[in-house]
Amino acid sequence: MAHRKKNRNVGIVGIGQTHYSSHREDVNQPEMIHEAVRIALDDAGLSINDVEAVVHGNMELFEMVFQPDLWHVLGTGAYGKDSYRITTGGTTGATLVAAADNLVASGMYDVVMAIGFEKLQEGNTTAGITNMADPLWSRKLQTGALTGSTGYKMIKEFGEERATNAAMRMRIQNDKHACLNPNSHRAFGLDFEQIETLKESSPRLVGSLQLIHMCSQSDGACVMIFADEKKAKEIRENPVWIRDHITVHREETFNIFGFDEEYPVHMTHRFAAEQLYNRNDIDDPVEYFDVFEMYDPSAWWGLDWLREFFLLEGDEHLKLVENGETAIGGKIPINPSGGVTAANPIGATAMARVAEAALQVRGDAGAHQIPTPVNHALASGFGGTMWTVLFMLEKQLNW
Amino acid sequence: MSKEFGVKVEDIFNTMEERFRPEGAKGVDDSFGYDIKGRGRWKLTVKDEKMTITMDEDLENCVAVTVTDPETFVGVNIGKVDPMKAFNSGKFTVKGDLGALGKTAKMFKKFVAQVRQMTTKDYIVDMFGTLVSRFQPSGAEGLDVTIAYDITGPDGGQWMATIKDGTCSLENTISGTPTVKLEVNAPDWVDLMTGKVDAMSLLSAGKAAIEGETQLALKLGEIFSPYVDPMDADKEPEQELIALKKVISVNQRFATGPVLGKMLKGLREKKILGNRCPKCGRIQLPARESCAECRVRVEEFVEVGPFGDVRINDIAYFASPDPLTGETRETPYGSINVLLDGCKGNDTFWHMIRRDQTFQLKEGWNKEKGTRVRPVWAEDRKGELGDILYFEIDE
Repeated sequence: MAHRKKNRNVGIVGIGQTHYSSHREDVNQPEMIHEAVRIALDDAGLSINDVEAVVHGNMELFEMVFQPDLWHVLGTGAYGKDSYRITTGGTTGATLVAAADNLVASGMYDVVMAIGFEKLQEGNTTAGITNMADPLWSRKLQTGALTGSTGYKMIKEFGEERATNAAMRMRIQNDKHACLNPNSHRAFGLDFEQIETLKESSPRLVGSLQLIHMCSQSDGACVMIFADEKKAKEIRENPVWIRDHITVHREETFNIFGFDEEYPVHMTHRFAAEQLYNRNDIDDPVEYFDVFEMYDPSAWWGLDWLREFFLLEGDEHLKLVENGETAIGGKIPINPSGGVTAANPIGATAMARVAEAALQVRGDAGAHQIPTPVNHALASGFGGTMWTVLFMLEKQLNW
Repeated sequence: MSKEFGVKVEDIFNTMEERFRPEGAKGVDDSFGYDIKGRGRWKLTVKDEKMTITMDEDLENCVAVTVTDPETFVGVNIGKVDPMKAFNSGKFTVKGDLGALGKTAKMFKKFVAQVRQMTTKDYIVDMFGTLVSRFQPSGAEGLDVTIAYDITGPDGGQWMATIKDGTCSLENTISGTPTVKLEVNAPDWVDLMTGKVDAMSLLSAGKAAIEGETQLALKLGEIFSPYVDPMDADKEPEQELIALKKVISVNQRFATGPVLGKMLKGLREKKILGNRCPKCGRIQLPARESCAECRVRVEEFVEVGPFGDVRINDIAYFASPDPLTGETRETPYGSINVLLDGCKGNDTFWHMIRRDQTFQLKEGWNKEKGTRVRPVWAEDRKGELGDILYFEIDE
């Protein structure tokens, strides 16, 4: 069953990503965006004339450019077209995809291009995140996106040895995947034998959160093109179908972890997953999905959130990681692209999750393509103090 | 410009002056011409043990003119092409006095093509050899520091730069207690300096360590101009890429509204006021207009604390500069969530612990209670979160 309000099916027909890196001083913002636009159009075999509407987004506080879609219009190709701007912080990239899907599904447009980008080197990431906080209260205390709370919670629950090992294993697994992805910003060539060494040597940021666990600040752009079922089938043989997506918010709060079992915190990730699977009749997500591209800002969060997204209990998520089931070649590969710890151009990051999941479905992920068939893919976005966007992609139109 | 064997024709001519051996030019008073097909003509004039080389179309009065193609010319000069073979095959011809041309052989040191691959050791030597010349007094105003470089591995070494009164000196050893010490493996240092890897990546992977004042290490890019890779020196000059620097500073004034405003007014009077959801009973800190979970208006204010138990102590070892003040908080510091008296579950209050007590706290977990703390109030309270300076252990 599809989303009951979806008028018509929407396919992903074009994908373009720049190489992600710490510095793109060789190009300005519209030039960088244009690189990804060009790749996506070529991937779809379309010209910009075929695109009816452009949805553009990033987190504008990072570069402090307001209405950047105005400046970027030559790079985006939006000149003379219907154009929309979306900015929802970390989730921007996923919200852009949700909006493009809605625009096409509604029947308003047949072909829509979504653009997510960030040039974090051009602004101040911490300033952006700090000013994202409630100005009346939290700004005073907020200093960026770092927290050790998840590590603390997991250590309390599973013991220091097991929790820290699993988090580092998750990180190294991501790095191994990143080494297979030519677009990665960071690919160190880490090995599981280095778990103990890294636990010792990587500088501590907050609590048990170490520098190696944390995502990067990257420059880059991701572009996706969407078309209605009829057009999508004309454009390419293998469009990837957006089956459903959901967005869940919380009020702004930092009490999001829950440290008293009598007062559990219902995480937005779990809430979103429950709703999405329920309305699509998915009983066992680990069985159903073939790959999951997760917005994992740190290895601790990635590890902890597996339990939420897959509706697991106890230490089931740890076991998946410990047994290598989340690696390429495992039962449910997580982030074959390398994930957010490998590249994090924030406004593009969540879109890159959907784009990478779609490449896996198409079988076009190159060296990081998972070896088994991918029919069902899951992709998530994360932002703010617990905003979740969750996508289901399908190879066949048969649900 | 194209290259033969990785060397440009121009390199041969441009280095003639530095390769010139006056003692080999004794008694020579002649001009020699070089006609390199497709590249131009050069004229070498030697007189009184001095030389000049110029590009010159007119080679009429030269005693000998060498005519050849660029590949042969470069090949012969760097020893890749056998001159006799080239001469015999007609690729290398001489118009005029062949014997006179022979004199030029003694006049120049052999052209040595720039090493195409510098070793890690070569780089390390060059990087520290050029460090003092790359010092930028404008980036080091008011600095009185020592920066130690502990470059590990067989190609490494130890250096220490002393920066004082706008000058920089370098020693080949580390002594005393440097202001900051960088420790990194030689190949990684080379990659960092040549832009193949960024510092955060090295730090993240535990491949580099900073001891002492981290902030100073982050300023190195201002204190020293970037290292120029000699391997890039003969590259085509690239277009200079200009980056524009901007600073935004905005005055802001936010209305707080009657609900949060009431709580802020409470702080001014040393009271912590939360508001309780009529449906789920949670106490919101800060007070909010409604309970997001129950979607009902929250009217009832309750005074909580000011004492409470620590639930979380998030110890930050790394602080980015605070964009609101430009200051960097001293690390480590503890960001705490306190369950104030009168609250339950996750109704915690977020603040800071007194700096010297950062490591003295016990965190709560389920029914297990954490350390008792109390707020320390500012003398001059303005009705803002900062009216509480921090929490301290209630002893």
